[in-house]
Amino acid sequence: MTEREDQAAVVVDHVTKTYQVGEPVYALDDVSLDLARGSYTAVMGPSGSGKSTLMNLIGCLDTPTEGRIIVDGQDVTTLTDRERTRLRGAEIGFVFQTFNLMPRLTALENVAMPMVALGRPRPERTARARDLLDRVGLGDRLSHRPNELSGGQRQRVSIARALANDPSLLLADEPTGNLDTETGAQIMALFADLHAAGNTVLLVTHERHIAEHADRIVHLLDGHLERIEQIDSPRRPVPAGEP
Amino acid sequence: MDPRESLRLSWRSIKGHRLRSTLTTIGVVIGVAAVITFVALGASLQTAVVGDISADQSPAMTVISQPIGEDGGFGGGSGQAVFTEHDIATVADIAGVETVIEQGTIQLAGVRYRDQSIPLPTMIATPPAYFEAVATGNLTGRPYDIGVTEVVLNDVAAGLFATNVSVGDTVAVTPSGRDPINATVVGILDTETGPFAGPPGAAQPLVYGPPDPFYQTRLESPATGALERVYPRLTVVATDFRTVDTVADTVQTTLNTTGDARTLLPPSYEVRVVTNQEFIQQIQDILNTFTGFITGIAVISLVVGAIGIANIMLVSVTERTREIGIMKAVGFQNRDVLQLFLVEATILGLIGSIAGIVLGLLAGFGVTRYLELPFTFPLEYAGIAVVVGILVGVVAGLYPAWDGARVDPIEALRYE
Repeated sequence: MTEREDQAAVVVDHVTKTYQVGEPVYALDDVSLDLARGSYTAVMGPSGSGKSTLMNLIGCLDTPTEGRIIVDGQDVTTLTDRERTRLRGAEIGFVFQTFNLMPRLTALENVAMPMVALGRPRPERTARARDLLDRVGLGDRLSHRPNELSGGQRQRVSIARALANDPSLLLADEPTGNLDTETGAQIMALFADLHAAGNTVLLVTHERHIAEHADRIVHLLDGHLERIEQIDSPRRPVPAGEP
Repeated sequence: MDPRESLRLSWRSIKGHRLRSTLTTIGVVIGVAAVITFVALGASLQTAVVGDISADQSPAMTVISQPIGEDGGFGGGSGQAVFTEHDIATVADIAGVETVIEQGTIQLAGVRYRDQSIPLPTMIATPPAYFEAVATGNLTGRPYDIGVTEVVLNDVAAGLFATNVSVGDTVAVTPSGRDPINATVVGILDTETGPFAGPPGAAQPLVYGPPDPFYQTRLESPATGALERVYPRLTVVATDFRTVDTVADTVQTTLNTTGDARTLLPPSYEVRVVTNQEFIQQIQDILNTFTGFITGIAVISLVVGAIGIANIMLVSVTERTREIGIMKAVGFQNRDVLQLFLVEATILGLIGSIAGIVLGLLAGFGVTRYLELPFTFPLEYAGIAVVVGILVGVVAGLYPAWDGARVDPIEALRYE
């Protein structure tokens, strides 16, 4: 366990990603970045700055054209497609702007999905999913389907799902983009709690006031790493009401 | 992925997408029901047509003995009694043989009815099954029982007497060199011949009786060493018109190599099995035509069903692109996705086939009723239909499933 704690959750090492659309387009150009265990990082930048590309690469959904991505000590670029999928399931927890829950499954089943993918036994899955939903404040909504939940509640389910396999990294892509300010504040408070509990969080956003919840902000512009800004006193929202 | 888990997830998905699942199932149901209906219809038509043509003919063959090389005929044969009861049992055990009906000839001194004696020359000793399987005319009354002094006369014999003999009368039968035997007439055989005439001599006056007690020709069986009844002629009935030729070959080979008849016959004689070639050929042609017709229709119906399933599955994959993306993002492998789609297709194929069989049987039954055909359905076709229905589901679901499994999660998650 100590080895895991010493080593960075994710290392982005001189990564370049080009797309061949007629002429090569540099979506990312020589970007390097370390995400230490327990860190809270935000990635900011306007549309087309390479945020999504970086997120896909770190999330093991895509592979770089050049450079290396190391997730939990494993070089993603050397893995087969199946190994990469397994690493993604085990070490990356996704939180999406549009929640991306399975519409036919209950909250409990949605949270259990990543554990099904890794073949965890059923009783263990159910117990852990119950725990996680309890932790995000949805202990009484276990058998509700996504369409029976509010936007904030859906995002909580998706956060619980992201935590299912105890991943090295929690990867959140505009997690408050589809929520009103108040609900968004509650979700950001939840991320703050998770960070405080030791989780590594990477937040992708284009809104400054959301990014300021992190310890540091990585600014991307036109595929280049423009600068890394340290936040001395990150925002810690205190939600007015209960979720 | 754990198969139970994929079964559970697939079932959830089937229940979740009611309309789509229903449409897929209907596709299979229509395909399988069409197959079953047409197969039932074809089989019923086949039974009716074969039944009409063959009338009361059975897939029978005659076993006789004759000098080697002589051209056999339906009524030919040396007339030597060489087929022992052991031979009869051997032939009855051959695969494809339904019954063996032995026929022996008893020389008669005459038959007496009331005060009139008529010199009828021969009596046929044969089991009662003869009247069902070999005789072509209608039997008034009933066949005699074995071991009882009962006889059947043909109408020619019955009409020879001044007062016509009828069922229930008693006649005295006198075999050559023996005492008269009083026997009850239990049936009169009508000798009117059908489109396919029976053996020559059918129009002669004849008396029929059970081998026991009338037939006394016995020889020591070389195989068993016991004294057994021996007969000059056997009629072998096969189970099916299709197998007549094979059975005929087997019977002939068996009797010519290991039968008592081989030992009892002079070396220059052989056992011959004679079939009604032309007639059997005709029936087999009809059967083959029908089989081809039924198979053709079944294949067409299945192709139609398969295209339906493939269509719906393709739509289903597109519809669920986003879900596939989510599954892949949280760590499901391509083969897990493939497995889910295939399990789903299998379940739908299974449900569809079972419903299709029920529907198809009902439709087939209704149509044959309407056409006044005898309803015939080969049961093994139901099994084949289920297997094929599932197979069609899987094969038709294979491409869409493979397509779905390949979906790029990045694209899929962006898909609205």
